Parts: sequence; C-alpha cells; structure tokens
Amino acid sequence: MGLIKEVPIYLEKFPGGGILTTSLDYVLSQSRASSIWYLLFGTACCAIELMATGASRYDFDRLGMIFRASPRQSDLIIAAGTITKKMAPRLRLLYDQMAEPRYVIAMGGCTIKGGPFYYDSYSVEKGIDHIIPVDVYIPGCPPRPESLLEGCLTLQKKVKKQKLADCS
Amino acid sequence: MGPHHPSTHGVCRFLLTMDGEVVVKAVPYIGYLHRALEKICENRTYPQCLPILDRFEYCTSMSCEYAFCLATEKLAGIQAPERAEYLRVIMLELNRIASHLIWFGTTSLDLGAITPFLYGFREREDILDLFEMTCGQRLTYNYIRIGGVSRDVPPEFIPKAKEFLDKFPAKIEDYVKLLNENPIWMIRNQNVGILPREMALSYGDSGPVLRASGIKFDIRKDDPYSIYDRFDFNIPTGKVGDCYDRYLLRIEEMRQSSRIVRQALEQLPSGEIKTKVSANFKPPKGEVYSRIENSRGEMGIYIQSPGDSKKPLRVKMRGGSYNHLQVMPEIVKGGKIADLVAVMASMDIIMPEVDR
Amino acid sequence: MDRTELTKYLLDRFSDKLQLLDTGKAEPVFILKAENLLEFCRTIKADDTLAIDFLCNIAAVDTGDLFEIVYSVASTKNRIRFDFKITMPYENAEIDSIQEFWAGANWHEREVWELFGINIRNHGNLTRFLLPDDWNQGFPMRKNWDAPDFVRMPEL
Repeated sequence: MGLIKEVPIYLEKFPGGGILTTSLDYVLSQSRASSIWYLLFGTACCAIELMATGASRYDFDRLGMIFRASPRQSDLIIAAGTITKKMAPRLRLLYDQMAEPRYVIAMGGCTIKGGPFYYDSYSVEKGIDHIIPVDVYIPGCPPRPESLLEGCLTLQKKVKKQKLADCS
Repeated sequence: MGPHHPSTHGVCRFLLTMDGEVVVKAVPYIGYLHRALEKICENRTYPQCLPILDRFEYCTSMSCEYAFCLATEKLAGIQAPERAEYLRVIMLELNRIASHLIWFGTTSLDLGAITPFLYGFREREDILDLFEMTCGQRLTYNYIRIGGVSRDVPPEFIPKAKEFLDKFPAKIEDYVKLLNENPIWMIRNQNVGILPREMALSYGDSGPVLRASGIKFDIRKDDPYSIYDRFDFNIPTGKVGDCYDRYLLRIEEMRQSSRIVRQALEQLPSGEIKTKVSANFKPPKGEVYSRIENSRGEMGIYIQSPGDSKKPLRVKMRGGSYNHLQVMPEIVKGGKIADLVAVMASMDIIMPEVDR
Repeated sequence: MDRTELTKYLLDRFSDKLQLLDTGKAEPVFILKAENLLEFCRTIKADDTLAIDFLCNIAAVDTGDLFEIVYSVASTKNRIRFDFKITMPYENAEIDSIQEFWAGANWHEREVWELFGINIRNHGNLTRFLLPDDWNQGFPMRKNWDAPDFVRMPEL
C-alpha cells in the first residue's frame, strides 16, 4: 500500500497526471468493493440469518463476498449476535488482528444498543460501537436477509467513494 | 480452541491438553453468551417473557415458547382449544425439521462437505416460507401464546405445507445418497465419540444423544404433553452411541416428524385458536417444572409464581445442550482434534442453550 | 404410577423426612430437610419401584426471605416425575453435592454457587464459568443485588 500511495504524488507533477490518479482511485476502490471477504463471526440468532444469507436463496457470493475463518484474511467483520462483557475483549482482539482497510457491520439490534437485552441484563454489552468503530448499522431482530444484503450494498457504496488518500 | 472458531457452534472455548495430535484432556469454558435471560424474565410479565424465551434457543423458537406456555397453563389451569393444539403440534414438528436441517448443514460444513450445507438450507427456506406466511417472522416467532396461538393460518398454508411434505422425502433420499455410504463420512463418524448408556443417563443427556446410546426414551411417548398421544410415529434408537448413529437417528427423526405433520394436517379441526386470557394475567401461587422433547434433548422450564403478581418469581430454563457439553470431555479423551470437532457437531450443541 | 399413587408411596416410605407441598398442579412437590439429602437420593436411586435415574434440573430460588433449591428428578423406566426442595436461610447457605448419584449435577451446582452464592460442599470444582473471569460485583441472581450499569425496565 505504501508504494501505491507515493505514486500519485509523483504522477500529479506531470501534465494530465490528475486524471491518472483519479482513474487509479476509481479502479482500486471498485475492485476493493467487489470482493470484500468477511470473517465468520456469529454469536447468536443473527448468525443463523447470516448463514441463511450465504446459502442458496440469498447468495452472498454474487456480491463477491465469501467467508474466511481467519481475521488476517478478511476485510469485513459482520458482528452478528449479542456481545457479552466476556466476549468483548475477544472482539477487540479480532478487530485488531485484521489488516487495513477493514470495515465493520453491526448486524441486529443487540450490536446497536443491546437489543431486547438492554433492560435487566447484567452481562450484555450495550452496543459494540464503544468497542470497535462501526461503518454500517443494520436494525432488526434478526434482520431479514434482504436487509443484510442492502447493508452490504451500502457498505460497497461507501467503499467505492473512498480515495487512496483516506487510507492510512 | 475458540471462542471464535468456525466449528464451535457459537462461542465455546476449549482448553485442550494435547500429546501430539491426541487430546489428553479437554476443559470447556462457557459463558461467552450469558445474557442473563433468567434475570430479565423476573422483571417481565408472563406474556412479555415469551419473546425473551424465543431467543433462548433460536433454532427451535417454537419449542421454547411452547415449553413456557405449557408450564404457565399447568400453573393456571388453562386449556388451549383443539385447533390451537393441532396448530401448535404442526409448528413444533416443522420447527424440529428446520432445526435438524441446520444441524445437517453445519455438521457437514464442519467435516468438510460444503454441498449438504446448501441443500439443507434450501429445504429450510421452504419451511421458513410457511412460518412467514403464518406469523410474519423467519426466526424468532412469538407465535405460541399462553392459551393458544396468536394468529390462524392463512388458507394457502395447508396446500403449501402438503406440497412441501410431498417433495421432502425425495430430498432426504438425496442427502442419504450423498452421505450414508460415503467412505470419508463413515470413517470420520463411525466409532468416534462413543457414549456409553450408563454415562449418558448419569449425565442427564436426553433426546437424540440418549436414544443413540440405546435407551428408548422420548418425552412425546413416555410423558406425553399436548396431543401427541393421538399420532402414530416411531422412535428410532441407535446401538453403539457413536457419531454415525446420531446422524442416522436424526435423519430418521426428520422422516417421522413429516409423518406427524401430515397426520396433523389431515385431522386439523376448525374452531377457536386462543382461550381468552386476561391482560392482567396473574396465575395462582405455586411452582411447576414442565419438560418437552426438543430437537436437542429435553427442554425444561421451571416457574415459581408468588401468587398475586403479574411477574414470575423465578424462571429457570434447562436446555439439552447443557448436559451434552458436560459429558463431552469424557468422550473425546484419546481422540484427535478433528474427532472433537466431529463429536461437537454430532451432539448438536448450541451455545445459547448452555449459557442462557 | 400416577400422581396420587406416587405421593402415597413416597409419603409412606419417607414419612419422617418428606413433607408434601400441596400445589394441586401436575407433579407433586415435596419439602426435604437439608441433612437428609444424601440418604434420600441414595434411596430413591436404588429403590426398584422408583428407579430414579435421571436428574432433570436443579434450580435455586431467592424468595425474598429464604433460599430454596429445587431438584427435579425423573425415571426413564417407570413413568415417574416429581420435585423436591430444600429451604435454607440467607446466612451460611450450604448444601451437599449430589454428583455421586447423578453426574449431571456438577454444572448445575456450579451455576447455583456462581449466581446465588450458595456454597456446595464436596463439589471439587467451584470456579467461575458463566460470568467474566474478573467479575467482582457479587452474586447477580439475588433479589437484593444491584450494580451501577444495571438498567431496570421502567414500570409502564
């Protein structure tokens, strides 16, 4: 990534170099958005809907998304299911192990603000956005597969707008 | 191993002491999904507890709701109408088939076969269409209520259900052809994770795990609840108690469940679907423990009611997987890690049942 | 064996130890004294008419004045199911472990200790397993428990 970041700085010095950098931006962000590999992270009920979305009727593979078991090989973590206080450090660890650029989708009510377990529960983490930064929130309990696909398309739109200069 | 691992069916962590590739000792660490459901239920009225119980064991939400409604109805002496009982049995058995299909898909995925996963989930989508037609939800239904069910089935439910039941046996034959005589499947499952009869009984295992070890005990026949005594179905039993027996047993259970649904659809009477239960439902003082046959074993709900309150004093939930996970360290000793994965998949352990 | 026969048999056999709690509901519930627990379990497991070989559930209840531990047992051979419970005061709440009769009691008792604080004698492995490892906020299932981030549902 370091080499690609420096190339635009040199390219822009040439006449017409700006067109090359914007085209490079476009190609790279399109390719990044079309092939987001997600980490299999499902704790509770939303995990079943995640599996069903990856199965035959609503297919994830047509969006270019396939599951990976290791955080080092994935770009996206779909946090599906309730996160408890005991599980929160593990989620942070997984997020830290992912290579940049990395994205997070918070799927289901439990990851947004604790869901149905907000009241009277002593061990549920009320939302994951104070553990890891979230890009897309998908409400629902559990959200339908169509909602999840819409969430992934929203993420793709967000990725396509990213420029090289934003990535650190 | 875990808690985040593709084969641990949720979030379960094992601390393994290994000698090369052989497992010497395995200690399970749970609690990564402990959501304090029992504490939540103490501060909810009885009808408000039902969506919480849906999430107790989400693969068979109908069974969880039904166990709670059975306990509450026993406590308060309410009897649901005939049509409601038939609808409940239809939903419970369809839920059992859907849960076994999830088991089928994830077990094959764990052992490396990806095609059965897609087949299982394809059939499951048909069942979820039926559920969505009735109550609007695919996974956590909130359909079975105290005193009956919440809505009647629409007119297109019965023909669609019969259409599903007509084509389902052929699909089961497909799965059987794929896996039963497959040499890899047989080597990975036969004589792996043998659970002796006495150990199974002593540890409180129930459901398919107990029946695979040779003890013919099914709560639907031996301690019948609802209207199960009106249906004709067999209880398959295993001989050895290994993973292969458990696999064959669950495939056979899917066939028997479709038999029950077919009989229930034929005998479905017309009538009311819910007994009137007051908005300030206060059951009398008492306690009850009621149990049903879930797809993973015995599911029990213990309720203690203080008498003059809308909220229960204590709700304790008991899931089958709790005891299955307890016996796992005993039966994986001396095997390899891959055998541990096979055993965990075949016992069909779901972590929310263990952790609540 | 139906409910009346079972009640009569148990009360005849264990008249000094058991007391029937008349709930009128499906399965009979008995009250047992804590010191008779091990002897009672041994007898019901060995008895041929009862042959209790399956422990369904152990539940602890905090009634506001006392602790109660409810054991639900069943037999797979004879169609029997009943409950028995032991009451104890809050201070020094202790009970014996019954895992020598039914090994499945191990985790149920561990959970009772962890969430309620009732000590189990002769258990051998009373360590945390449901709550986080660094939990220091007491025993959450007790009625008088509270914590700063515990949000109660407001009454409507």
